[in-house]
Amino acid sequence: MKAWSKWSKGLLVLGIVFGLLVGMNTGAYAKNVIKFGCAMSFTGKKSRTGKLYIDSLKLAMDAINKSGGIKVGNKSYNVEIKFYDDKSNPSESAKLIEKLIVEDKVNFLLGPYSSGITIPDSIVAQRYKIPMVEGGGASGKIFARHNPYIFGTLPAAGQYFRTTLQMLAGFTPKPKSIALIYGDDKFDISVAKGAKKIAEKLGLKVVLFEKISEGSADFNTILTKVKSLAPDALLMAGHTEGGINLVQQAKELNVNVKMISMTVGPSEADFRKSLGKDAEYIFGVASWSPQMNFKGIIFKNTKEFVKIFKAKYNYDPDYHNASAVAELAVYKSAIERAGSLDPKKVRDAIAKTKIETIYGPVEFNPNGQIKGSSVVLQIQGGQVYQVYPKGTKKPIYPMPKWKERK
Amino acid sequence: MILQIIVNGILKGGLYALMALGMSLIWGVMDIINIAHGAFIMLGAYCSYWLFTLWGVDPFISLFLSIFFMFLVGYAIQKYLINLVIRATIFITLILAFGIEIFLNNLALVMWTADVRKVQVPYGAANFNIGTVTIPYVRLSAFIIALVIAGIFYIVLNKTRTGRSIRATAQDLDAARLVGVDVAKTYALTFGMGVGAAGAAGTLWAILFPINPMMGGILTLKSFVVVIIGGLGTMFGPIIGGLTLGVAEALGSNWFGATYENLISFTILVLVLIFLPRGILGKRE
Repeated sequence: MKAWSKWSKGLLVLGIVFGLLVGMNTGAYAKNVIKFGCAMSFTGKKSRTGKLYIDSLKLAMDAINKSGGIKVGNKSYNVEIKFYDDKSNPSESAKLIEKLIVEDKVNFLLGPYSSGITIPDSIVAQRYKIPMVEGGGASGKIFARHNPYIFGTLPAAGQYFRTTLQMLAGFTPKPKSIALIYGDDKFDISVAKGAKKIAEKLGLKVVLFEKISEGSADFNTILTKVKSLAPDALLMAGHTEGGINLVQQAKELNVNVKMISMTVGPSEADFRKSLGKDAEYIFGVASWSPQMNFKGIIFKNTKEFVKIFKAKYNYDPDYHNASAVAELAVYKSAIERAGSLDPKKVRDAIAKTKIETIYGPVEFNPNGQIKGSSVVLQIQGGQVYQVYPKGTKKPIYPMPKWKERK
Repeated sequence: MILQIIVNGILKGGLYALMALGMSLIWGVMDIINIAHGAFIMLGAYCSYWLFTLWGVDPFISLFLSIFFMFLVGYAIQKYLINLVIRATIFITLILAFGIEIFLNNLALVMWTADVRKVQVPYGAANFNIGTVTIPYVRLSAFIIALVIAGIFYIVLNKTRTGRSIRATAQDLDAARLVGVDVAKTYALTFGMGVGAAGAAGTLWAILFPINPMMGGILTLKSFVVVIIGGLGTMFGPIIGGLTLGVAEALGSNWFGATYENLISFTILVLVLIFLPRGILGKRE
């Protein structure tokens, strides 16, 4: 017995030493590496969407490394992403960005998820003059601070509902009024304020413009108001769970409008799974849909990206996923054009970006936000289709009343 | 419209009452503020979700399984965990409950990820009309179930031997022990009953709302407010507290806007603490 335990101890020590040696070896012989830093929501309120970014960034990183890395002059570099969990907390996230820059000495930064967290992170990036390309924050406030180091791949929040409202105004008979409700969140407020202006210009009356508290599951009061005001369309800027609650409770209270549209939700698989048949006819907005087709830098084209993505993660990518791929595509192109890892030179190259990615063409406004707009989606037969401005299916309007559905 | 809003509030109040019943029982008998209450509601919700998703068990049947399962969980936690520190100050049990909450939330997060899920039953949003007022069936059932569970608790506490020993322990621990009440077992039973009621609330929650592992926090807070408003020491406290809160929130968010829902809840909490420190139905001393 004693001899046996001695043996096993000896083996253990040997194993550890061997392991350390192997570890050191791979370190010593590794290729040149460009280090990216990213504080993302692995846990907490935003972790569900945060995971979409993490999955995509890892997939894009592997794809770059497999196809020869990023070329700087004659040398080729592998991509490495250092992730930290920001717990969905803005101040935690800003601290981690500082840690990534000072302790981990990363070359460049990737953005977090959601506008509220991107703002403090971008300020840290600016302080250390390290560029940050982010695909998770669209609020105008991120880009209104004259920060030359922040670049965003989501279109301006205030413009999110533009295409939806244009489509709505084009229906016959022309709808007269809309109700706008929005979450208590920087992004949602920007979306709603922008949508209100656009709607009024298009001659649509905004009969209800109300903020809801984030985290509240109860839409009964608001829906009762909507029922009595009877607008043609109900537009919501909010997050997935709020969207599920809104639709479920609209049915519970038998609130019939001709159209329900929301920013986040319809494009996500969870939304359709949770609501089942009740998700039919709901409209959504996205800067991207898997039905688009663009050539890419990291992946050959959108179709190939969707295929590889589904094979690896077993769910449909949505615009968050594509936007994350665009972040790395922007860096790859900019670093190769700059021919250097100097943050200032790369920043200038990013500002001049004009490329096509699987996410669509990427070109930045002087404030750092992408030029572009969103498309309208609708759930038909359990699938999400792009229906406007171009689309694989025609929009169905008005949606049938709850009690008249099969 | 105002009638519909009041009905909405009453039905929501029923759900609040059901959520708070278990917390009130545990608090009243053992003086434990169960911070983990929301996490138990979450477990009850997942219990019904998985029974429905894997084996197609209707949530109104799995309601009983979820109550039973959560009763066992509660009984075990009290027997093997909380009973060890029950003699310590209230802060120790508070911290223990807090630890249980964090543990359960993160366990759920690891096992089931943060995906949003929902029990998708065809009748989930079915409703009927009385005049101009629309009433959803599931919310009405939640309301009735809350009343039934409160009734059962009332009968158990007042008419059975177990109930008498629970009340005796709550009133005077040493005297109860002197006359031969097995205090540890009584505590475990009480905790089991409280957590079982949380399981029932979780099941109904999963039919009405999407669920995720972190949903418990806000539910603990709401239950806490309901218990304080209703008052400790009677099973009808949570019902009155739930209805007060439900109607006040519905009317308040109609008049002041939906953003103020939580402000309204906690304003009522403060007002009740100032003017009726023992709650609306709490025993005066």
